Amino acid sequence: MKNFKKYLLLSFSALAIISCSNDNALVANNVTLEFNNTFGNETIVLGNATSTEATRNTSAEGQVHHFEELKYVISNIRLIKEDGTEIPYNVNDLDNGATVVNQAKTETLKYVLNDIPTADYSQIKFGLGVKTSLNTLDEVSFPNFYAAAGENDTQMHWEWGTGYRFTKIEGFYDTDNKTLSFHSGSTIDEDPDDTTGESFIQGVDAYRDITLNLPTMAIVGHSAPKIVIKADFNKFLSGDTHTITLVTTENISNNATPSAHTATEMMKFVDNIGGTGDTNTTGMFSITNVEN
Amino acid sequence: MKNFIRNMYVLLLFASCSNDDYQPISYENPEIVLNIPEGFPDLNITAITNAPTKYGVELGKKLFNDKRLSADNTIACASCHIQANAFTDNLTRAIGIEGRIGLRNTPPIQNMAFMQFYNWDGNTLVLENQPLVPIITHEEMDSSILEVIGKIKNDQEYIELFNKAFGDETVTNDRIFNSIAQFEYTLISANSKYDKVIREEGTTFTLSETQGYQIFKDKCISCHSTELFTDQSFRNIGFPINPDSEEAGRSRVTREADDYLRFRVPSLRNIEYTAPYGSFGQFETLKEVLDYLDNGVIEAENLDPILKDNGNKISLTEAEKTHLISFMKTLSDTDFIGQ
Repeated sequence: MKNFKKYLLLSFSALAIISCSNDNALVANNVTLEFNNTFGNETIVLGNATSTEATRNTSAEGQVHHFEELKYVISNIRLIKEDGTEIPYNVNDLDNGATVVNQAKTETLKYVLNDIPTADYSQIKFGLGVKTSLNTLDEVSFPNFYAAAGENDTQMHWEWGTGYRFTKIEGFYDTDNKTLSFHSGSTIDEDPDDTTGESFIQGVDAYRDITLNLPTMAIVGHSAPKIVIKADFNKFLSGDTHTITLVTTENISNNATPSAHTATEMMKFVDNIGGTGDTNTTGMFSITNVEN
Repeated sequence: MKNFIRNMYVLLLFASCSNDDYQPISYENPEIVLNIPEGFPDLNITAITNAPTKYGVELGKKLFNDKRLSADNTIACASCHIQANAFTDNLTRAIGIEGRIGLRNTPPIQNMAFMQFYNWDGNTLVLENQPLVPIITHEEMDSSILEVIGKIKNDQEYIELFNKAFGDETVTNDRIFNSIAQFEYTLISANSKYDKVIREEGTTFTLSETQGYQIFKDKCISCHSTELFTDQSFRNIGFPINPDSEEAGRSRVTREADDYLRFRVPSLRNIEYTAPYGSFGQFETLKEVLDYLDNGVIEAENLDPILKDNGNKISLTEAEKTHLISFMKTLSDTDFIGQ
């Protein structure tokens, strides 16, 4: 037994040495996702109500608007090989497979996927938000993601819904800079008492699965590719599904939408930025380019 | 003491070996039988799958009263859920650590084992999912479950109680949530004067209470129905509107415009002890509530049809209000509030 342990130790050391001498190969199996948050082709600059630097956008309905805060959660990342094989990346591990993209923190605009199997990849899938099965604010299972999402300058816990905020946008609209505040998240829940097997479900699922074709193959193993993903927030108000006019009240006649929290109309924004989940699986996202 | 328990376990282990029918856990930590009051609905499935046990409830009660559940050790569940007030407080909106003011009026905790929805907007369907919410909410305890576990896991009393309740001393999040829910399942109120009258235990209503009961059956029972005195539906009854932009009522959960500012019909049990009334404590007294309903409520597209059909009001004479209040006070359960 003692000998066996020695051999085990020896083989581990050997492995360690091998890995050390093989650093380049490992790095070449990294894939960097770079998020470029834009209005159209212009990268967003955040700013307060009267900021002169902030990027201003005009919606299809003619409402000028800009953002002071812009955050969203990316999780459930999968890379798809040329032959269709899906390589999931820690899809059930928020600590190692999910991130909060925060326009105010440059370091969060890049997310590095480690140890991706050597292959040529033609497609990427990821989730905007957190899928329902993991969306429980489970600090015990995922302490790191929980902490990162909960930081004072991040605030992506949706405490009352015991889930994560999927998107948080604070900003201003119209020439008099009225408050724009949008938070999205899932409220979906099952009735524990329903034993019919057709559980009554209440609430909405705001998680959206995004599928994007890569314009050129990401060649993992040969190099460490970088995939530049554009998130065009022009679609927030002027999306493929809904054209939104913001108003200050909850009076939602005339197809207008409240500008603050939007309790009743959240899903319009969700469909615009995350797609409808069926016919539209890109939402505001597109691939700018792949750098091999 | 610890050694004694260990010895007991060892003894029990031997006992179980010699007798297969013997169940040491149920002997050590017996289930508490929840008596379903006459006319009450069936128990929730979770009150059966997470059935209260002697030590589970004791542990839950200790956690419920422990201020270490909050970030600065100043607020316990029991700080807002006070037994003398049927486990709510007398504030308009809940106040958490550092005087932070919450969105809504603290709901009472009673007859939870029979409720299909929890909270004003019914966002929670499973009681075991609820304790985490106040622990992590900024305006309430502003802590985290790992912080709580860190604070209590080396406490000798907790070590003993987790051991007794769950068979070993490991402090887990699920055990914390389950034991608090177990304690809450035991908070059943069904021993008011009303109950005694209905059960014909020798008590009778006064004349005013009798008249109030009749008015209640004529004008209130369509919403405050069943022995829980709520039909657990969500309705917009045109009460003064919470100015907080977070407030959307039930539509915060369903995201349906129809549910905007709809709230769960509150139970009338122990209503005497749960002032102020309304989702953010709009009314100080029951009389104010009845005056408001009598004068007319705020119009809304989704205003409850019963109100719409009655000119957006529930007309009541002053005498009827007096009798109704007399009747509502027969729903006070002094045993339940510990007096």
